[in-house]
Amino acid sequence: MPRISSLKELEALKKKLQAERKKIKKTLTTCAGTGCQASKSKEVINKLRKELAAQGLDKKVRIRTTGCHGFCEQGPIMVLDPANLFYCHVRSEDVPEIVSQSLSRGKVIERLLYTDPVSGEKIKTEAAIPFYRAQDRQLLAMNRLVDPESLEDYLAVGGYSALIKTIGKVEPETVIEEIKKSGLRGRGGGGFPTGRKWTECRQAAGEEKYVICNADEGDPGAYMDRCLLEGNPHLVLEGMMIGAWAVGAQKGYIYVRNEYPLAVKHARQAVAQARAWGLLGENILGTSFSFDVEIARGGGAFVCGESTALMASLEGKVGEPRPKDVHTVVDGLWHMPTTLNNVETWANVPGIMEHGADWFAVKGTETSKGTKILALTGHIKNTGLVEVAMGTPLRTIVYDIGGGGSNGKAIKAVQTGGPSGGCLPVDKFHLAVDFDALTKAGSMVGSGGMVVMDESTCMVDVAKYFLTFLQDESCGKCLPCRLGIERMLEIVTDITEGRGRPEQIDLLKELAETVQETSLCGLGKTAPNPVLSTLQYFLDEYHIHIDQKRCPAGVCQSLISYSVNEEKCTGCGVCKRNCPSQAIEGQKKHPHRIIDDLCTRCGICTSECQFQSIAVS
Amino acid sequence: MREYVTLIIDGAHIKTARGTSVLDAAIEYGICIPHLCHVPTLSDIGACRLCVVEQIVNGRSKVTTSCTLSVEDGMIIRSNTDKIRNLRRNLAELLVAQAPNSRAVQDMAVRCGVKEVRYPFKNADCILCGRCVRVCAEMWQAKAIGFVGRGKDRHVDFPFGVRPDFCKRCGSCTMLCPMTISPCAGPMERGKERLCGNCESQLMITEKTNDACVLCELGKGFNCARHALGQG
Repeated sequence: MPRISSLKELEALKKKLQAERKKIKKTLTTCAGTGCQASKSKEVINKLRKELAAQGLDKKVRIRTTGCHGFCEQGPIMVLDPANLFYCHVRSEDVPEIVSQSLSRGKVIERLLYTDPVSGEKIKTEAAIPFYRAQDRQLLAMNRLVDPESLEDYLAVGGYSALIKTIGKVEPETVIEEIKKSGLRGRGGGGFPTGRKWTECRQAAGEEKYVICNADEGDPGAYMDRCLLEGNPHLVLEGMMIGAWAVGAQKGYIYVRNEYPLAVKHARQAVAQARAWGLLGENILGTSFSFDVEIARGGGAFVCGESTALMASLEGKVGEPRPKDVHTVVDGLWHMPTTLNNVETWANVPGIMEHGADWFAVKGTETSKGTKILALTGHIKNTGLVEVAMGTPLRTIVYDIGGGGSNGKAIKAVQTGGPSGGCLPVDKFHLAVDFDALTKAGSMVGSGGMVVMDESTCMVDVAKYFLTFLQDESCGKCLPCRLGIERMLEIVTDITEGRGRPEQIDLLKELAETVQETSLCGLGKTAPNPVLSTLQYFLDEYHIHIDQKRCPAGVCQSLISYSVNEEKCTGCGVCKRNCPSQAIEGQKKHPHRIIDDLCTRCGICTSECQFQSIAVS
Repeated sequence: MREYVTLIIDGAHIKTARGTSVLDAAIEYGICIPHLCHVPTLSDIGACRLCVVEQIVNGRSKVTTSCTLSVEDGMIIRSNTDKIRNLRRNLAELLVAQAPNSRAVQDMAVRCGVKEVRYPFKNADCILCGRCVRVCAEMWQAKAIGFVGRGKDRHVDFPFGVRPDFCKRCGSCTMLCPMTISPCAGPMERGKERLCGNCESQLMITEKTNDACVLCELGKGFNCARHALGQG
């Protein structure tokens, strides 16, 4: 492996690599991100390697295994270049056909094409897929072009250009000025202006300074940081290097949770490669700049995503937050000035330094610039990772990219920002993805989780779900978070189980506001958001639960009962066979009956019945 | 040389040494900010949150705990606004609902103006203020007890649940524990917990004199730092 000792050498190597890559015309890109691996993309890739070798094509065709493309639902995904042919749900059995038909003869295999769930059309090329077309993939697009295990790949697509331009050439203050001008704000949840953070850290006095990459992503359903670190670790590393140069740090940490084994592996490999190539270590690329990065694995506590808890964890202490009256940029890791940024924030840095602040700031709104990756999940047709320019309305994301409701039901709300965010109803879908607009509406952009919910969702139950999550994840250090969440959960449970009293709504609101104001860290301060936002927008649902003892969505088990619609029931007996508590009786070919006293309201009969004859009331 | 700064707490200009916490400065001056997990001479962790105050920064108010906030020149603090009183009352209500069987907690509830408890009572033995853990670690350098578990499961225990040799049974932990003294009427039975409120008369004195400390009996109950410092 070549050790590069000067900026010039790196540039020359980059040119050489780019020229080499140009010679190979045909590329088969297969996603090997966690999502696609779960749908057996590794088998596909192995089979592909064998098949190409057997056909003697392995020199002429490049197989690229990449990180997540974002469209995980369609995995395993394969893209054939230069035709830009897009195949989804590829199985290893399909590989011989792909090689003999599509690769050699250029024929399209119809059954592997993507079918647009909205129009029902088959779509041939990746570029024409509505899910991708409506996005603005500034960061994610690169995931498809690089093998995360190869530094050469990253260099060939223009990686480390920003580093070459910056270190040793641009004054740290100018770098910070550029970041400030770009208007980049923290992507982890808080939305703190990155430039300001860096300035404060640069100006703070300390023998040593640290930069930390926070990859302790824990919001249910969110995985954008995971995909960036898995799919393009060098991009994050490059961002950290530039950040370290700007704030004057000599040491960096990537704090990644151990539940992300692929992210840990790729980050480790990237750091090892960068070290071997001389991009990390003493006197990087012949400049006076020295910087090294260590990977720290987190134990999976949600609270360790909070900056001070993360630093405590890095120091080997219990991952608990501490008061932040003095900011971590002044008094952080080992009481030294520390800049902590989210994976996505770091990943945005190289682009800004390479193309300039204006290039970045063109996209977005007045106060939120650039693009944001969102994890779109829930009751919609297309789920996956989407990247949109800040300022894109929620409507565009849910209906144009997401394709609208998945099972024919009307969409009711979207939950943004994970457990710290809130639920926004359909009439707020004109709101844009913008730090301030969403916060004003009672939710937040957060790290970018976006759960779409249709009419089959009970909003009180949603609040209960998030409270349960937060109760499990609260560290328990401060009173309002520990006891406040417990009491809020108690009240919400009362409401969902039919014991709710009208005065409890006011109490819930008052308690939520107390927890919000007085909690020690960000987890507690934002924990009441799911409660407050559902109280704000879906108060009628709470009232129906309390006054009429009824759950309109048919979710809260204590408030619903199942019955058989005798006209529809054919007496097939499937429900009776599958009922775990023997609560269904009836003879073959005669309408069945549910014995309410025995019914545990598990809902298995509803999902098993082919004739929709089981009614929930 | 000690450096002195001047800050404004509830309108009073207070000169105090740099490095002091806002809570200590207030107590020294005789302004009563209720507090529970704070013990003079031990570090502050901001666990009970009862000592919340409003800090005015650039015209905007920010709620923070006074025990963890270091004094700075020109700092503006308000400890007795409606908002703070409400927050404090709600916190004390949570606390007394959790552990009604402690005189300190009952006194604190009275001091913070809790008139009714809207949650079902629980009879917890520990409110996780962390006084014991800190005195063991900081005063005696023993670290014989510590917090175990997270969130709902958090509790104080010996390492691995076994009393280590370096616990000399000095009893400092018990001495500082706010749970050791029962309410005056004796321990409450399970299921019959209530808000005591017998000392509400004390509150009338403290309320009349507004935010000034009158060395009330309530302070003794919850080991108020002013009493502990022997200024009473």
